[in-house]
Amino acid sequence: MMLGSMVSLLMEGMITSIEIFLLTLLFSLPLGLLIAFGRMSKFTPLRLIMKVYISIMRGTPLMLQLIVVFFGPYYIFGTTLSPDYRFIAVIIAFSMNYAAYFAEIYRGGIEAIPKGQYEAAQVLGYSKIQTFFIIILPQVFRIIIPSVTNEVITLVKDTSLSFVIAIPEMFTVAKQIAAAESSIAALIVAGVFYYVFNVLVAFVMARLEKRYDYLN
Amino acid sequence: MNKKIGFILALVVIAFLVMGTASAGLFDFLGGGSNNSARVNNDNNTFIVGFDAEFPPYGYKNGSEYVGFDLDLAQEVCKRNNWTLVKQPIDWDAKDAELNSGSIDCIWNGFTINGREKSYTWSEPYIDNKQVVVVKADSNIKSLSDLKGKIVETQKDSSALHALQGDNKTLGESFGKLQEVADYNTGFMDLESGACDAVAIDIGVAEHNIHSRNSTTKFVILNDTISSEKYGVGFKLGNTQLRDQVQKTLDEMFADGTVAKIAANYTNDGVPGSLVRK
Repeated sequence: MMLGSMVSLLMEGMITSIEIFLLTLLFSLPLGLLIAFGRMSKFTPLRLIMKVYISIMRGTPLMLQLIVVFFGPYYIFGTTLSPDYRFIAVIIAFSMNYAAYFAEIYRGGIEAIPKGQYEAAQVLGYSKIQTFFIIILPQVFRIIIPSVTNEVITLVKDTSLSFVIAIPEMFTVAKQIAAAESSIAALIVAGVFYYVFNVLVAFVMARLEKRYDYLN
Repeated sequence: MNKKIGFILALVVIAFLVMGTASAGLFDFLGGGSNNSARVNNDNNTFIVGFDAEFPPYGYKNGSEYVGFDLDLAQEVCKRNNWTLVKQPIDWDAKDAELNSGSIDCIWNGFTINGREKSYTWSEPYIDNKQVVVVKADSNIKSLSDLKGKIVETQKDSSALHALQGDNKTLGESFGKLQEVADYNTGFMDLESGACDAVAIDIGVAEHNIHSRNSTTKFVILNDTISSEKYGVGFKLGNTQLRDQVQKTLDEMFADGTVAKIAANYTNDGVPGSLVRK
């Protein structure tokens, strides 16, 4: 197979990978913040539930979570699975998993802010919500960017897990080409794709980091 | 302390239930769950074939299309029944969950009947496949007994593996090591590079790999066979209605020579030679 046609086939798979990547970030970043709030809540049952949630999501393989989310409705409730649900299940599972990691990153960031800032804000007449969104959160972003970059790069590579419920993303396409062609050229091209994409992600995150680096 | 553990366990169960309900609820909301039983016949005229897209010549990727002998057969069956064929590549390890949940209608992909008779509702066998051993042409392995103490690779969960661990256990145990690899492409790479001495494999897949690598002089297939087995189309256990319909069409295709004609397109892969004679 010509390199050109191989690249264009992999490109199709890459679009699926990028869709998973973007949709997962779109849902898991806000969801992670909510879970972080729950995790730090003064209301004990909520805090415990979030602790257990994070523990399960981080403690079991993402591949298993994909299988549970996709086949669970049938095996638990006998619901018929529609083909469209495959992709939805991928997004649900990835978002739930990554939200757990992001939640802990947010928590680390929020707890790094000295208590004195809250007290100062109170003295200055800020409400609790204003304090959090105007004073605390921007600083949290600055603190957590390096950790988030790590997770985001892992996410790019984790998209390849979604074939366990038959979503043919880029690496699956590469494996299929490799099997049909009896050569590993496609796998190497796939490696280059991942690398280039991750360099891009790292570049964007570095730019963000610079923008928030107002202290120096 | 025990009380605490019990409390945590209860929370775990609750969390799982909430997760399950939430995802199912969302699913219902999205319109996926219109009826509450698994679909046993393909009432909506689509025929979803589940297959492993890394299993040439029966199902594989050619350009942007999925092709293969089995998919061509399925295409013809659909044409004759006015169904729309959906080719759904699946993760082979998840095939039972896919079939039982109704997300695919059948498994049609060089699917071995032997040893799985009671797990699926089967069509009649259409391929008589042999498990063979591929070695390098310049190796001194000429028969199965020469494999003693050698490293032999086979695909995980494959028929060759089952044969070597079951009926042909003595042969399997005579090897230095029986190594499982994720796919046969890896197996051939290992054989070529010397990481293993032989590959135990289905004959059709062996022929395909040898031809597509342009290496008919590099590898040879031993004359001795490990075992022989039949391929069929696997349906969900009890789904005889759909099975009978597909079987009827397949019989017609055998009778009018269509099957042989399709097989002829895969001569390099050894398909015509392994067709079941009717």
